[in-house]
Amino acid sequence: MSEQQEYRFQVNLSGMINILSNHLYSSPKVFLRELLQNATDAITARSSVDPSYKGKVSVEIAGSGEQVTMTVEDTGIGLTEEDIHQFLAMIGHSSKVGKDFLATETSFIGRFGIGLLSCFMVSDEIVVLTQSAKGGPSMEWRGKPDGTYTIRKLDTQLAIGTKVYLRCKADCADYFEPAAVEELLFYYGALLPYPVTLVAGGQQKTINATQPVWFAEPELARGKRREVLDFGTRLLAEPFEDFIPLRTANGRTGGIAYILPHSVNLNTRRSHKVYLKQMLVSDKAENILPEWAFFVKCLIWTDELQPTASREHFYEDDRLQSVRDELGEAIRDELVRIGNHEPERLQRIISLHALPMKALAAEDAAFLNTIYKWLSFESTYGEQTLGELIDEKKKIYYTATVDEYRQITHVAAAQSLLVLNGGYIYNHQLLEGIAYMNPELELERLMPEDVSLSFTDLTMEEKNDHYDAIRLADITLQRFRCQIQLKRFKPAELPALYTLSKESSALRSLEKAKESSTDLLASVLGNLGGSFGESAYSTLYFNLDNPLIDRLFSSGSKDMLPAAVEMLYTNALMMGHYPLSRQELAVLNQGIVRFIDWGLSANAGNGGASK
Amino acid sequence: MNYDFETLMDEAYDLPDGLAKLEVLEAAARYADAEGDIEQGFEARKEIVHTAIFHGYPLKALIAFSWQLGQYDRNPEQFGSFDLMWSYKWIVGQVAHFPEIPLHKIEELVDDLGKRYKEHGYNERTYFYYRFRVAMDLGKMAEAQTYLELFQKAERDYMSDCDACEQNQIVQFYSQLGEHEKALEAAQPILSGAMSCAEVPHITLSYLLLPMLELQSEQDARKTHNRGYRLIKGKRDFIETVGRHMSFLARTDVKKGIELFEHHLAMTLDHEDPFHKLVFHLYSAQLLQKLAANGSKYRPRLPMSFLVSNEEMSLAHLADHFAQLALSAAQQYDTRNGNSYYMEWAEEALRA
Repeated sequence: MSEQQEYRFQVNLSGMINILSNHLYSSPKVFLRELLQNATDAITARSSVDPSYKGKVSVEIAGSGEQVTMTVEDTGIGLTEEDIHQFLAMIGHSSKVGKDFLATETSFIGRFGIGLLSCFMVSDEIVVLTQSAKGGPSMEWRGKPDGTYTIRKLDTQLAIGTKVYLRCKADCADYFEPAAVEELLFYYGALLPYPVTLVAGGQQKTINATQPVWFAEPELARGKRREVLDFGTRLLAEPFEDFIPLRTANGRTGGIAYILPHSVNLNTRRSHKVYLKQMLVSDKAENILPEWAFFVKCLIWTDELQPTASREHFYEDDRLQSVRDELGEAIRDELVRIGNHEPERLQRIISLHALPMKALAAEDAAFLNTIYKWLSFESTYGEQTLGELIDEKKKIYYTATVDEYRQITHVAAAQSLLVLNGGYIYNHQLLEGIAYMNPELELERLMPEDVSLSFTDLTMEEKNDHYDAIRLADITLQRFRCQIQLKRFKPAELPALYTLSKESSALRSLEKAKESSTDLLASVLGNLGGSFGESAYSTLYFNLDNPLIDRLFSSGSKDMLPAAVEMLYTNALMMGHYPLSRQELAVLNQGIVRFIDWGLSANAGNGGASK
Repeated sequence: MNYDFETLMDEAYDLPDGLAKLEVLEAAARYADAEGDIEQGFEARKEIVHTAIFHGYPLKALIAFSWQLGQYDRNPEQFGSFDLMWSYKWIVGQVAHFPEIPLHKIEELVDDLGKRYKEHGYNERTYFYYRFRVAMDLGKMAEAQTYLELFQKAERDYMSDCDACEQNQIVQFYSQLGEHEKALEAAQPILSGAMSCAEVPHITLSYLLLPMLELQSEQDARKTHNRGYRLIKGKRDFIETVGRHMSFLARTDVKKGIELFEHHLAMTLDHEDPFHKLVFHLYSAQLLQKLAANGSKYRPRLPMSFLVSNEEMSLAHLADHFAQLALSAAQQYDTRNGNSYYMEWAEEALRA
């Protein structure tokens, strides 16, 4: 036995392991990822000095129950005694040390020390046997979670490489189950460019026997549809039906974006699987694609991005920004291509993922122009795609808000106008964009007041007859900044139509806030309200085709007219879901009392007898 | 389709920030008001303020906040105060941008903020810092200098803006004063990435373009332009910042400048911040003048709603149109502020 020396870690190791398992890593199972990563680093390092060298990793599980052990062996570069001190003993130390070591670009993914420590989550003792390619004696390192470790030189000469022994910790048997280990090895190492084998229960199995060529060269994926979909389904656990190949211009990042087979919420957290140098570094990478791309789940490889310490994100730097932009463009371009060559396929995608498609189209005019025919809208002709509506060969109007649509849909339908509801998310922006790029489409924003253009004006004679009543009604609503118009329009059952421009809507909410604010802010709002002009007036159209209105505006109802107009006005507000101001509420209350009173008096006039 | 308050709020939470979300939130606020539910009205408006202030709808933010503060004063126990006090900063940082609000009311608002912060146990740093910012907005640079020194002496606390935001304002201050060397020096921690937040370095970089052009090299300035523009492209919240990039491009790359102009003009049409619009209009005029002076016959791509209200579309006419918009806004500010800061700035830009 050669001399044996004892060293101590500089930190409280059990505390450190606690931090690792509870904060840095999402689950103990990452110890296998860390071991594979260390092996990958070692193999990469050895290939860089010896290009003819071909690496391999073998994992062996022996024993059963509490006695089970795992050996992870690689034929990589190995460690000298000095390396061991440097990498295994000093936590936070990597082969290149900068101020922020995690952010500095290193050619090795692993930070050996930290990675190995993760094994303490599943094992109470770690033994590393290693022989460096640089020569020197074979070494043994033995670490315990109490913070001590020993190093000794071995008398025998081992083959070049590193072997890590783990002994299963109580309660950790699950992580040593051969089937579970096999699944995890595939999960992390499916794409590693050297064989990873698992030996357990007398059987030997190569985990990554088939290497999909189309993954490294995504352009080839289009020709291998079924294979690509099956691979994605196995790795991402979703039954995919469609995908988009990805690749950046410099060729350093690429992969496959699988289109989710179900609709997703706009704010759903997207987690993509990212392989750094063919080793899975993250299955929760969120920031590698633009926000709008939440309808895909990706397998991505890269050799140009730096993962954060938890490996679950990438550092937000300029490079990530441009990778993200390029991957976004790749998705967009492919959708455009699909739209041009396989329109039905694009339609399927859009019907599943309308919202993200709209979000993207709102930002990107060219994309909008490719897909707009397949976007569907609520309209006075029912829920249809814009393409179908265009085929109606009618002038198409759209509203800017749901409220505007609700105000006029009834009337517009009666005039058989084709009106789209532009109020739902992004619709208005998109319709404006479509109208701008395609002037031949006759797509026009409908202002609530425009509906009135198709209303029939009164004849000169009727105007004369109703002159006083109109004036009286107008004066009654002056204080609410509402003007009245008397017209004839369909449907006759509708007594009145209230229209409110965006400006008057804004003014209403300003007045409402003024009522309940502090004196200072109320007067500030007063200053700002002053700048709303004529446009902030709302309009109440009365329909002379309606029998009630006809009677109301005919002579003889002069006493009742102001109160009736006020009631119809507050009623129109409530129908339109506008909260009433104090003044309006007071008018409504007085009106109700007055009409009850009139009703009772009218009955009394009948001789007081109830029917 | 009948939505109740919770459904609307859930829908809003699922939307990315922007106009679509605001409209759903406003519908939720209207719903709560119609039901007379003040707590729900408060909740919806809190989200409105938050969304509106960062997406170019400061008026909507101000209206919603005013309602909130009124309700809070009536029933302080019913609502949490921290978010409300935090929002107050955004409002006060915004008020000077509305030329209709008279000077004395702006002063009163900043004092009210200071008074409330004191009552809530915060120190004077944030108050002084907003004094500094408002003075800068009002073109009172000497006063701004005084408050700059005062706020830096006070301790940070929970109400303080983040250090990146504060540093960014200092860079703006020196850049606006024309003290380019100091601006670049103050920008060091931001350029190195040591200080950053949701708006920094996005805004800051635009203030460094001319200093770099003058003191370093066109190449440095161009790099900074590329880095900064990528962060703000197509975002309503940064229209003013886009304008500043346009000013740099008017000096170095008119063609690219026109691209920025065409890409963002539509966003300015219904932008609620008159100051953002002023900056964008002014530098649009500067760019278009340059292009016209080169004898170009280019016809910029203009949004529909813009075409409707403007008939004659030659470059010279367009340049004039935007120059007039900028100058009349500048004049409005100066009249309110009682100085000639913005007219001098605008006229100088148009001569450049």
